[in-house]
Amino acid sequence: MSFDVAFILSTLPAFLKAVGVTLQVGLIAIVTSLLVALVNAAILVYRTPYLQRVVQLYVELARNTPLLIQLFFVYFALPSLGLKISGFAAAIITMTFLGGAYLTEVLRAGVEAVPRAQLESGRSIGLSEAQLLWHVILPQAGLLSLPSLFANFVFLLKETTVVSAVAVPEILYTTKSYIALYYKTYEMLAVLTLICVLLFLPLSLLLRYLEGRLQHGQFGS
Amino acid sequence: MKTAKTSKLLLSLFSLALLAGCNKAEEPNKPASAGASPATSYLETIKARDKLIVGVFTDKPPFGFVDESGRYVGFDTDIGRQFAKSLLGDENKVEFVAVEPASRIPFLQSDKVDLILANMTVTPERKEAVEFTNPNLRVAVQALVPEGSSVKHLDDLSDKTTIVTTGTTADIWLTKNHPDWKLLKFEKNSESLQALANGRGDAYAQDNLILFSWSKQNPGYRVLEEKLGEEAPIAPAVKKGNIELRDWVNAELARLGEQKYLLKLYDQYVRKELSEDTKPESVIVEGGKWQG
Repeated sequence: MSFDVAFILSTLPAFLKAVGVTLQVGLIAIVTSLLVALVNAAILVYRTPYLQRVVQLYVELARNTPLLIQLFFVYFALPSLGLKISGFAAAIITMTFLGGAYLTEVLRAGVEAVPRAQLESGRSIGLSEAQLLWHVILPQAGLLSLPSLFANFVFLLKETTVVSAVAVPEILYTTKSYIALYYKTYEMLAVLTLICVLLFLPLSLLLRYLEGRLQHGQFGS
Repeated sequence: MKTAKTSKLLLSLFSLALLAGCNKAEEPNKPASAGASPATSYLETIKARDKLIVGVFTDKPPFGFVDESGRYVGFDTDIGRQFAKSLLGDENKVEFVAVEPASRIPFLQSDKVDLILANMTVTPERKEAVEFTNPNLRVAVQALVPEGSSVKHLDDLSDKTTIVTTGTTADIWLTKNHPDWKLLKFEKNSESLQALANGRGDAYAQDNLILFSWSKQNPGYRVLEEKLGEEAPIAPAVKKGNIELRDWVNAELARLGEQKYLLKLYDQYVRKELSEDTKPESVIVEGGKWQG
């Protein structure tokens, strides 16, 4: 089977657009997930009554249902209840639902990993709770969380391909459309794989580099 | 010592892998690459594995769907059983693989199935990619809209959103002839219909037989009169270059035609889905004798 390079070139503008959509969905979802996770982690760390149970329930629910099913539920089932959400919005909502849960656990674990002696030392020199949080807990918890935080960011970006199922025109949707129209299965899958490598690998490497820099700043090499 | 042990282990693993490689050609579940070795007959390969592998739809009644007992049935699916009966002597010696419109041709190209019997319309582009046999059905693409919709003609859709199922004739025709129309594409026929029901688009363009059947069972919708493109044949397909299997299927279709077998399947599955004045010969192609 021949490899149709001219055809690949003709599809590149469409793929460029699709990469834009993928990044848009992925980056928005990362930011919103992080916001959800910050609120949730605070609730868990401060053991807020009642709310703590709600957050725990949410984390378990979100982590134990597949993204595709959450997506189908929001996109296809909610309209029967009178709630019609666009494909893009459904993608952001479900990815935030999923990402928020994972990141909540990451942040909680980060805070809990700060040695208790640090808190006690802080209190003993007369720091207020707010100062303790800002100057002692957050800088250390943030650094401790970074590796898994970054890993989860990359995970969320990769998960964006799932949202092709509700007609969000990202990279997988575009690939499938072209295969369906022109039957260039090999060419299009090769392009998709290449885009994924070009998109996610440098990001992975960049995040690892940043992580190394931050760790170095904290602990030395 | 340790290294010696490891290399011994590696060596035995490697030879195992080699053996496994040798065995691959006889692996019963995978169709051997068609046309790769013209010396061996493809039909013999199927007979050796004692099973015909056929790609079918599972969500497109009456052509391919799942009945109450979980069996794959339908107009197309049952033709697959007849093929298995004729080739292997038992209509149960067939393995059905569920395909979606967009995955039909990739499944043939990658040797996942021997044959696609999934309501595939013959188009010039698809002829380049696969080997079509003679047809078993005829079809045209039309559009389904909600009863109360303001859409009266096809052109009314130019500034609206039209739903299609990825890789269907409707998808291809609209992309080529109306590239400026807004299309919303889903993988499955059932998802597209759900999307129309949810009001995510103004119309659903699809093969008219499927639309007629669906709108008969789900009141509140109407099918636009105008057709998208010409009436076209629907035919089984085999991998590009597999002339032997194509000719065999053609002979089988001719044989089934003499028994009026497709009419029997039409009565069993299709007749009740369409309006009373539909003539069977406007839908089925008995004996493969029509080329569109």
